[in-house]
Amino acid sequence: MRENNAPVAVSSPVDLSTDGGSARVALPPSGLARRRPRGAGVAARLEIAALSAPAVIVFVTFVILPVFLAAYYGFFRWKGFGKPTNFIGLHNYKVILTDPDFHQALTHNIEIVVLSLAIQGPIAIAFALLLNQKMRGQSIIRVLIFVPYVISEAVAGIGWSLLLGGQGAFDALMRDWHLNFLDRDWLANPNVALWTLMIILTWKYIGYATILMLAGLQGIPEELNEAASIDGASYWQTQRRITLPLLGPTIRIWAFLSIIGALQLFDIVYIIWGQYVAGVAKVSTMATYMNTNGRSSGNFGYGSAVAVVMFLISLFIALLYQRFVLRRDTDGALTGGGRRTR
Amino acid sequence: MNARKSLAITAVAAVAALGLAACSSNNTPAATTPAAAPTGGATTGAAAGTDSGTLTIWENNTTGTKGPAFWQTVKTNYAKIQPGVTLNIVPVQNEDLDGKLQTAMNGGTPPDVFLQRGGGKLADMVSAGYVADITSAVNAPDIPAGAFAADTLGGKKYAMPLTILPGGFFYAKDLFTQAGIATPPTTLDELNQAVTKLKGIGVAPIALGAQDAWPAAHWFYWLSLRECTQDALEKAATTANLSDPCFLKAGTDLQTFAATKPFNDGFLTTSAQKGAGSSAGLVANHKAAMELMGAWDPGVIGGLTPDQKNLPDLGFFPFVSVPGGAGDPTAMMAGVDGYSCSSKAPMPACSNFLNFLGTTEVQKAYADANSAPPANTAAASAVTDPVLQQVMGYSQKAAYVSLWLDTRLGQSIGNALNTGVVNMLAGNGTPQGIIDAANKAAAKG
Repeated sequence: MRENNAPVAVSSPVDLSTDGGSARVALPPSGLARRRPRGAGVAARLEIAALSAPAVIVFVTFVILPVFLAAYYGFFRWKGFGKPTNFIGLHNYKVILTDPDFHQALTHNIEIVVLSLAIQGPIAIAFALLLNQKMRGQSIIRVLIFVPYVISEAVAGIGWSLLLGGQGAFDALMRDWHLNFLDRDWLANPNVALWTLMIILTWKYIGYATILMLAGLQGIPEELNEAASIDGASYWQTQRRITLPLLGPTIRIWAFLSIIGALQLFDIVYIIWGQYVAGVAKVSTMATYMNTNGRSSGNFGYGSAVAVVMFLISLFIALLYQRFVLRRDTDGALTGGGRRTR
Repeated sequence: MNARKSLAITAVAAVAALGLAACSSNNTPAATTPAAAPTGGATTGAAAGTDSGTLTIWENNTTGTKGPAFWQTVKTNYAKIQPGVTLNIVPVQNEDLDGKLQTAMNGGTPPDVFLQRGGGKLADMVSAGYVADITSAVNAPDIPAGAFAADTLGGKKYAMPLTILPGGFFYAKDLFTQAGIATPPTTLDELNQAVTKLKGIGVAPIALGAQDAWPAAHWFYWLSLRECTQDALEKAATTANLSDPCFLKAGTDLQTFAATKPFNDGFLTTSAQKGAGSSAGLVANHKAAMELMGAWDPGVIGGLTPDQKNLPDLGFFPFVSVPGGAGDPTAMMAGVDGYSCSSKAPMPACSNFLNFLGTTEVQKAYADANSAPPANTAAASAVTDPVLQQVMGYSQKAAYVSLWLDTRLGQSIGNALNTGVVNMLAGNGTPQGIIDAANKAAAKG
């Protein structure tokens, strides 16, 4: 536990000089780096405040304020016309937490989170390793893997729903090719629908994961691989002992983004399954539940309460993840992220 | 801000009107005042020709050429009657209209005239004080009282109906002939027999767009119409309570009927109107023989045929009677599209415009442009589509015409019923589950 803040000159045990050891360089301790001259403080702070004010105001108005408004509306029974007048306290929250439809939606969300991580992670790493080597068509393959991510969710959703629907092209094609075992109900059958959703999600977001992993791979110095091969390590041993551990921070960040995205999944499910069949097919999510029972039903107070519940669940998981998983990546950073141990 | 602006405009208009009155002999000057107190402020008998100001109209005829052309005609013709009134016609996409309207109303800048479908949504708007009461201002002699029922709450009228869209079976006559069905079925038994014969010629007997849920729920509503007395329906609609055993009976009827597998394969992922794979598209391309829909269907099916013309062998027959049903076998369910005035609209300029919409020529023009049966009975001759003429014939003979049950019960319960019916048809629920879903919905607001 660091108690003193007074600047202390510490001489470095490491020889950092470039002229052969004739001079010793004193490393400034971190405490000194924090002190700023008193006079320039106020002006600097004002400057920071003025320059960031527009962005902060926009962010607070359009992101933070609606959260509080939703919390406010969630305490009312409100049809969306006029001001909310029927205060019912925590009644909406009680209904949400005891509604089996919501429990199912939450279960589906967790399934999607787990499956996304399990399926997309290894595939993305494999693609990244593949694409990291010099080969013909490297750029084209990278583009092709990334293109689905660039297509809007609405377009992708409509395309897939036309393809996989009851009267869709996929089933017709399978019948033409006499592969009748592949001609089945891909969307409404609850045993199959979740896997269909995972295939579509993987197709859509694998590019994003691959690009992140590729960027992470760029940060691994070549010398390590060379040193390992000199020591006689095989390709897979190198990957397992050097590449994957060093890819750790990237994987953890990607996992975090993937978890939050999976918890808030709405558009693909809504467009392909529709709000009614999603429940039947066991792919409803908290967001589709919110839309069905809130906006579509005209119950805006109830919908706001669902939004707040979603927010709290996501916040809780995000904070847990930050505390226990991401902490090791921010420890030791120069910006003082992990220095204060409490 | 709006009140001040309209106050300024009408102050100028009032002075101008008084000036005109001095010159003209047969126009009684009617000083138009903005509606500060919204409801009940409409004066009767405001003479034509002296209204002034601008009326903003939100309508949903965004596709094709006939719809927008109709509104242009309205604008031109109304200018001859009320030269002082400028009509600002704003087409809004049908699916977006409800949301945009709600935002505009809450934001204090509603349009003066807007599309109104009645039912629970109207009730919500009225209780928030957003819709003008036009009971005393309505002057539409050729529109029967029943047509106003959809937009009447607590004895007060809130909209002028433009079109009544009853529902029933729209079927492909060629396929029926091919299957050996001589006359369309009139009872549930005959419908079952027809289904068997149609399976024999290899087409889906009935197309169902259950992905959108409401086409499936419509089967439940029609069966409720046949099983329940008119009183039971009214009571259920006003108290939002489906505890009457006739509704459970309707659910059981639907379950039994669905067990005979009369619907197309994959009906859970078939939409109602989107493209050739929809239920309308199946009928249009003769892959299914019939579907239970509303009077918009000839137009929708016509847009999905290979040559984009109305299906030449399309026919109509009303919903079948159910053995032991307490409801009248000739009763029909319909949607009613009308136009309302907002409580902030200038009166009587707005209600005068609504009365104009109720006149025979306007209703004829609307029916022609949209292929939709008009509410005005004198305008019925404008409908040339033979299928629609059949539909109108049956609705005129109906014992009573009820609004779609989900519109009447309001979105929250309607939505819950939609979900309950889809669950049952997918094998995940029971008829009792449908009733329970509706009751659960009341807890959510």
